[in-house]
Amino acid sequence: MRAAWRAELSKIATVRGQWVAAILATAAMPLTSLLVATTASVGAGATATSGAVTGSIVGLLAFGVWGASLAAGEYGTQTIVVSLATVPRRAVLYTAKIAAAATVAGVGAIVSATSALLLVLAVTPPGRQPLGNPATLVSVVLVMIAVAVVGVAIGVITRSPTMAVAIVVVALLLPRAAGGLLGRLQPWVVGASPDTVVTQIVGGTPLLTSQTYPAGTWAAAATMVLVAGALASAGAVALMRRDG
Amino acid sequence: MSLHLALRPRSPARPQGVRTSADERAPAAIVVEDATKVMDGFKVLDGISFTARHGRVTALLGPNGAGKSSMLRAILGIDHLTSGRTTIGGRPFREHRQPLRVAGAFLTPDAAHPRRSARGHLGVVATSNGLPRTAVSRALELVGIASIADVPVRQLSLGMRQRLGLATALIGDPAAVILDEPHNGLDAPTIRWLRVVLRALADAGRTVLVSSNLIAEVEPICDDVIIIDEGRLRVASPLVDFVGGAPGAPGRLSLEESYLRVLRLP
Repeated sequence: MRAAWRAELSKIATVRGQWVAAILATAAMPLTSLLVATTASVGAGATATSGAVTGSIVGLLAFGVWGASLAAGEYGTQTIVVSLATVPRRAVLYTAKIAAAATVAGVGAIVSATSALLLVLAVTPPGRQPLGNPATLVSVVLVMIAVAVVGVAIGVITRSPTMAVAIVVVALLLPRAAGGLLGRLQPWVVGASPDTVVTQIVGGTPLLTSQTYPAGTWAAAATMVLVAGALASAGAVALMRRDG
Repeated sequence: MSLHLALRPRSPARPQGVRTSADERAPAAIVVEDATKVMDGFKVLDGISFTARHGRVTALLGPNGAGKSSMLRAILGIDHLTSGRTTIGGRPFREHRQPLRVAGAFLTPDAAHPRRSARGHLGVVATSNGLPRTAVSRALELVGIASIADVPVRQLSLGMRQRLGLATALIGDPAAVILDEPHNGLDAPTIRWLRVVLRALADAGRTVLVSSNLIAEVEPICDDVIIIDEGRLRVASPLVDFVGGAPGAPGRLSLEESYLRVLRLP
């Protein structure tokens, strides 16, 4: 298992586009949050910590798309044939893929969250905003890992980079964009979507009732984790059934 | 590096730096038992059984669409069989702890990421099975592409990518080698080189199973012949029996003539 995980990390490290994309995903949230902070778009009641995650949706999109293209790209380039022939145990191969994506996304997300907070603090005049609770940034790290893992799962399920990326983008953006179409389900769906979960945990940014999970913040997080787990499991089933 | 020097004879001895069980270093016959694969109601493989033995080159022949690639993918566990069983070294390929020590495969020259270098590709493969980094340089030298090891795969010619595919198959110093149409797109010198490689692999004790449409190319090196057509086994025989004797024997046919005759092709 460890060898397969290291091989998956090696796959990322040996293709420039893949590690550059991971770096860009890491930079996405801090740069977006910096933009928001410098344009004084932070609302009343916001903290430096909540300001740091104003760009979380961009970071989540970036890590989700990265994970999806990472996995689906193997089918696009046919390199999956070598992967299946060198690590023929599907459970090991899939777990290694998930673990490698989670490792890179985890490191990237820690750097991303930390640098976002430092940048927001650097550009905010002293005393203008309270710090908030930086420990809640752990939530954005975990959600970024979850989104990257789901991206990998969707990549394995679709086996098409274009389709996988499209699904990830739609899954992350649609709940908020078209939440009104969901009727009474809107707060249950939008409230458990990744960026809303982050916003609810970090606090400081007011959400509409229609965007707030009715059962509470931690139930929203648990729902998101359950959905991510279900999609990751679906990816495993797809790999085992379709690819042998 | 001479190929004969580079290919270590199969023995139970544990190679330096490589953890492996004794049985995974033992000669590994490829056994196919009643392999059947149905796709969309169509029998791609229909009850095929044969054995490819160690120390011998077994040629897997058949017309386009006969099921050769499907057979090889099933042996490697890449595709599921609907029924039947395939083993390498007594176990399904998936059950080996270090699969690249048991069987190396070349299924397509396009299986390396176009933006990864040959060295990077082999590094990933070696890492996946816990092979030492020296295995990468050894494999590069073995197939003669060490000088272009750091060039992105997309810049390599088909012949060089074929060699990289062969390096991928050989990197684990496996007991069995499975090659699907390795002659495709190769120029004459590279085909000749491949002929030497395959023969040397078998002479070093490996099980070599190679599919090809270039029948005249495999005839000089193969020991056994498997012919499948429309998913069914038509011939599983030593070459000398199939063509009617050793080279020069009276009445002996060429492999191509025998092949066309058995398939009733003009």
